[in-house]
Amino acid sequence: MKSLVISRRLLLAAALLLILLLSWLWRAYAPGHDRVWEDIRGSGQWRVAIDPSFPPFELLDAAGQPTGFDAELAQAIAARWGVTVTFEAMGFDGLVDAVYAGRVQGAISALPYQPERTQDVAFSVPYFEAGLVLVLPAQGGAVQSLDDLAGKRLAVEWGSEGDVQARSLRRRFTDLLLLPQETPQDALLAVAEGRADAALTDRVSALQVAAGDGRIRLAPQVVVSDPYVVVLPRRAAQLQREVNAALAALAADGTLAALTERWLGTGSEE
Amino acid sequence: MHLRRRFWLILIPAAALLALIWLRPRAAVTVGPQQTVTGINPRLGVHTRLTDEVEEWKVRRTLEMVREMGAFWIVEYFPWAYVEPERPGQGEWQHSDMVMRHARAQGLQVFARLGFTPQWARPKDTAPTYLDEAQYAAFGDYVFEFVQRYRGQLAGVVIWNEPNLSLEWGYRPVDAAAYTRLLRAAYIRAKEADPTLPVLGGALAPTLAPAGSAWGMDDLLYLQAMYDAGAAPWFDALAVHAYGGKFPPDEPAAADAINFTRTELLRAVMVRNGDAAKQVVITEGGWNDHPRWTRAVRPAQRIAYTTRAYQLALERWPWVDAVALWAFRYPAPARTYQDYFTFVTPDFQPKAIYLEVQRYAQGAAPAPAAEPSLP
Repeated sequence: MKSLVISRRLLLAAALLLILLLSWLWRAYAPGHDRVWEDIRGSGQWRVAIDPSFPPFELLDAAGQPTGFDAELAQAIAARWGVTVTFEAMGFDGLVDAVYAGRVQGAISALPYQPERTQDVAFSVPYFEAGLVLVLPAQGGAVQSLDDLAGKRLAVEWGSEGDVQARSLRRRFTDLLLLPQETPQDALLAVAEGRADAALTDRVSALQVAAGDGRIRLAPQVVVSDPYVVVLPRRAAQLQREVNAALAALAADGTLAALTERWLGTGSEE
Repeated sequence: MHLRRRFWLILIPAAALLALIWLRPRAAVTVGPQQTVTGINPRLGVHTRLTDEVEEWKVRRTLEMVREMGAFWIVEYFPWAYVEPERPGQGEWQHSDMVMRHARAQGLQVFARLGFTPQWARPKDTAPTYLDEAQYAAFGDYVFEFVQRYRGQLAGVVIWNEPNLSLEWGYRPVDAAAYTRLLRAAYIRAKEADPTLPVLGGALAPTLAPAGSAWGMDDLLYLQAMYDAGAAPWFDALAVHAYGGKFPPDEPAAADAINFTRTELLRAVMVRNGDAAKQVVITEGGWNDHPRWTRAVRPAQRIAYTTRAYQLALERWPWVDAVALWAFRYPAPARTYQDYFTFVTPDFQPKAIYLEVQRYAQGAAPAPAAEPSLP
């Protein structure tokens, strides 16, 4: 009789233990549960990887701390959550793998969207368009868009993505004259000085040069899109939602525009 | 009556099946007429990347563009695990047959790089760059089968890739003596299949990693260690990886620098070890023009350096048979700095570097960085 009571108690204890274990497992691994987000909230820190060698998006300040567009963007996102950012500097090639391996809780470093890596990591919505744009004379000019390039002079950085696209444009406009230049800055200068009717360069170079040279402006349409995104751990759905919400809020309240103007200048973008 | 009904019940589906087989879409890609490469530099070559290219028309178009650029040589990778994915002797040769067929039709000379261990030939949870000594004979069998199959169609076989890097040696400490034993096993089997075929050893990664580094070993030290382990009889030519980094191609060689002329230092190791009569083949190399990779140069510099490098090898290095720079085209964008090594985009848009190399191969002077040619 006594042994029966003991067995019953043992069974009850085992059942209780099993329930506890299952509830812990459910809490830890249930779909939608985001331990990364909980860690960030719990520790008050967001560990972010950055390669501070790509000004003006990321560089080191005089004190050796990461600064630039992306560093300030990370800080602005974290501030909305009431946490601080801890930057981990590393090489560009290791950024995505650092997120994949769980070494950091995100990477903000002028990174493009990589569809091939969606099984490994998650991506935010785009926060900056860095693709190819058409750059035109600020005043007048015969070219307003790609459709007007027939018989015109188009400056590009020799060998760049803009060069590749310009060469394919010549199938459409056989009389398009390409003016390859050594650097994107030279291509933009050719427009400013009237030696070219337009230039096709990356938007970062175009914004930087246009900010200091009122003779050129950027056409509104992006010719080839290359957006920058935040790279995040794959099983961190809540974190992804929070980053996307923060980016939307920062766009709405003008913070993203202010960052662009501060680090790249926007005076001459249409 | 019953039998007759059964007869029709079998005959009709069988006829339909035969009709489907007969009417199935036929492969639209033909090999085309035999072509020959023309160009002023018989050393000019590229490393193609057709391993993961599925569609035959893309294989053909890639190799056509290689020939039209004026390249005589290609290096292509033929992974062991693709041919024998599940068991020894499996013989999945369709893809490599297709690549060889089109390369031959375009008049290209092929150096075949062999490696990539199938799962059945390595322990669980190891990388395809891992190969136990117990499996050297199995790899030798693959080398034998490969060389025998393409006998008379190859310029040479390259045994393994960058064994002086831990990641290319199964994430183990690098071991020049073990690689020498692998080279020996492969060499013997290759010669059994075709005694005249050159076997290339080395294909070392240019690195300054010191002896004892967990990451890898200086290629000059590693090559000497290969000789010390008795490698000399087991390769007919040395495969060299000649990346320029941020240096122009004429930058003098130095033991503490990674540049294009480091090739001369590897050659000096060969000469010092009595191998002056052997040739060198550059099976990888070149420059990268990624906007932010720390070892990249500007696109205009890359063009000038690349054409000059081909010319330099022709003028100064009679002991180099071919210069196959990395990499002609990828099947799909890598979306990393690797995309900026290529000559042609995945959708076959020729980059400016392709057109300038083509101009050079047709007899124009190598392009100086400051004076891009106007189209």
